[in-house]
Amino acid sequence: MKHCPKCQRTFPDDAPKFCGTDGTPLVSDAPHEAAHQARSEAADPIQRIRCEWCQGMNQTNAVSCWSCGAPLDIHNLVSESGWREAPRIKDMTEIHFGSSTCQVEGEIVPVAEINLATGDAVYFEHHVLLWKDEHTPMSVMPLQGGLKRALAGMPFIISLAHGPGRVAFSRDATGELVVMPLHPGMELDVREHAFLLASHQIAYSYVRIKGLRNILFGGQGMFMDRFVTTNEQGLLLLHGYGNVFERVLRPGESIMVEPGAFLYKDASVTMNVESQQLTTGWFGGTGMNLARMTGPGRIGIQSMYVHHSTD
Amino acid sequence: MSGYHGNPEHPSTPPHRTHTCAWCGKVSDGASLSCAACGATLDVKEISTRSGWSELPGRKDMAKLQFGNSFCQVEGMYVPVADFNLAPEDSVYFAHHVLLWKDPQVNITTMSLKGAWKRLLSGMPLVMTQAQGPGHIAFSRDAPGELIALPIQPGQAVDVREHIFMVATSHITYDWFQTGIWFRTSSGNESETHYPVGMFMDRFFAPQMPGLLLLHAAGNVFVRQLAPGQTILVKPTALLYKDPTVQMQLHIEKPSGTQRSWRTWGNRYLWLRLFGPGRVAVQSAFKHMEDNGRNISGHSGASTVSW
Repeated sequence: MKHCPKCQRTFPDDAPKFCGTDGTPLVSDAPHEAAHQARSEAADPIQRIRCEWCQGMNQTNAVSCWSCGAPLDIHNLVSESGWREAPRIKDMTEIHFGSSTCQVEGEIVPVAEINLATGDAVYFEHHVLLWKDEHTPMSVMPLQGGLKRALAGMPFIISLAHGPGRVAFSRDATGELVVMPLHPGMELDVREHAFLLASHQIAYSYVRIKGLRNILFGGQGMFMDRFVTTNEQGLLLLHGYGNVFERVLRPGESIMVEPGAFLYKDASVTMNVESQQLTTGWFGGTGMNLARMTGPGRIGIQSMYVHHSTD
Repeated sequence: MSGYHGNPEHPSTPPHRTHTCAWCGKVSDGASLSCAACGATLDVKEISTRSGWSELPGRKDMAKLQFGNSFCQVEGMYVPVADFNLAPEDSVYFAHHVLLWKDPQVNITTMSLKGAWKRLLSGMPLVMTQAQGPGHIAFSRDAPGELIALPIQPGQAVDVREHIFMVATSHITYDWFQTGIWFRTSSGNESETHYPVGMFMDRFFAPQMPGLLLLHAAGNVFVRQLAPGQTILVKPTALLYKDPTVQMQLHIEKPSGTQRSWRTWGNRYLWLRLFGPGRVAVQSAFKHMEDNGRNISGHSGASTVSW
C-alpha cells in the first residue's frame, strides 16, 4: 500500500506516483506494514507453537520453549521403538518459572543458574549447589520423617534458596539436564538423588519403596522422591547420567528396564522387580534383575548407570 | 568417497550415485546420509591426524544399521544406546551387565561357552547372554564415549581387549585367548603378577556369514593401519581392538633420574608394542594403570630402555 502524507488517502501499490487529489508524492507503506505484521503475529493470541516436550505454548518467533528450554526449531528425536530423547537444551537458554528465570549453561555437565525473584524459592539437596550470591537467603526445609530417612544411612537435608538472588546448581557427571515443568495436578516419582532442584510450588515427599525385592534389587535405594503439584505450575529439574529417554506406556503396556537406568515415572506407572535366573551349568548361575514398568504413564531412563552386582 | 556413474547405454536414465563408507567399506546408494552397516555419517569427510590416526567417523543421532532382517538404532550422543529391533530369526549375544531395557516377550538365555570354567577359575565371572527375536532390546555402557560398529566380513576376525565388548550378532563366533602379556613384581616373599592388557583377550570371528559387532569405548576412538613390520607403542589400557595379525609385546622404559628413590625403582613407563601388519584402535579415556612401583622380578618377552 501507499498513502498520501498530506491527505492520508491510501492507494494500491500499482497506483501512480502522485496523489490524485492534491498531487503530493505518495509514500510506500511496505516496510512499515511488514514490521506491523510481524508484531501482530508475535502478539497474535491464536498462532502459537506448542512445545512437544512440555506442551507449553510459545510465540511463533521463539526459538526455544519459554518454560522448558527445548529448542523449537529442531524435530523431536524419537526412536522406532518409541523412546523420545530428552531435548538437548542449547547453551545459555533461559527458562521461566513464576517471576524467576533459570539459565542453562554448558553442554557436557550443564549448570542451572537461577535468578530468583522476591517471593520465589527453590529447594534442592545440598550436594548439587555450585555457587550462590553472598546474600541469597537460605533455609532448611522442615521434612516429615526426615530423621527416619537419615537413620537409613543417608544424611538427608533439603535446603531452600529464596529470592531475591542468584544460585547455581550442577551434578557430578556427564549427562543431561531434564527440565520438567509440572502442570497442576501432576505426580512424578524420581530416582533418589536424581533431582537437581524444584520450585516452591511443587510439594515434595518421598515414598518408601515397598517390597523386599524392590529394596534389595531395585537398584535405587529404599526411597523414591515424589513431586506433586496441586493448583500451581512448578518447575522441576532432574539430572540424568548420559542420555535421557522418555516413553509413554499405554494402560497395561509393560517394559523391562535395568533398575539402575530408571530415572523418573508418573505415579500411575507401577514398578516391580523381577528376577531371572541365568544358569551357566557349573556354578548355579547368576541372577539378573529387571524392573517391570507397567503403564499408563510416562517413564524416563538414563543411558549411563551404575550396574548393581546381582550375584 | 562418492562415485558418479552415468549410464552410457541409456542416457535417459538418471546417473546412479553411490557412496562407499570410508569406515567399513560398505557401498550404499546416495539416498541415505548414514551408512546402513556401521552408522557412520556419509556426508562428512574422513578425519585423519598428521601422524596417521583416523578418527572414528561421526554418527548422526538415531542412525539406523541393518543386519539380516533386523535393525539397530543408535540413540544419544553422550552414552549411546544400541536399540535392536530383532527379526524372529535373528539373535544377539551380550555381556549381561550392558542390558538397558527390553520388551517383556524377548527371551534371554545363557549361551553355552566351551571352556568357560577355565576363565571363571581365573577369577572372572563371565556370563554371555543371548536374546532371540522378535522384539526390541537395548544396550548401553557406563562411560561417556563412542559406540563402535564393526561389520565383520566372512573369514575376518578381530581381537578385542576384555570388557570393551557390548553386543554381537549370532553369526559371529566368540572365543578368547591368553594375552601372554604380564610382569611380576616382588617385595620380599610377596610377589604379584600383573596383566596390563588383561589376562585374556576376546576374539570375534565371522566364519560364513557377515556379522555385526558393537563395542563401546570411553572417550574418542582412533584407528590406524600398521604396515608390515611397522611398530607403535600404546598405553596398554588404551588399546581397544586389533587385527589378529598384529602382535603384542611389553616394553619398559625407565627414566634414570628417579631410580635412586629409597622406596621404589622410580617411575617407569609400561608400553604395549604393537607390530604390523594390521589395524589397531585406541580410546582416548583409559583406566589408570596400577603400578606399585616395586621391582620387576619377571616378565613376558619385553624390551627395556633406560633414559
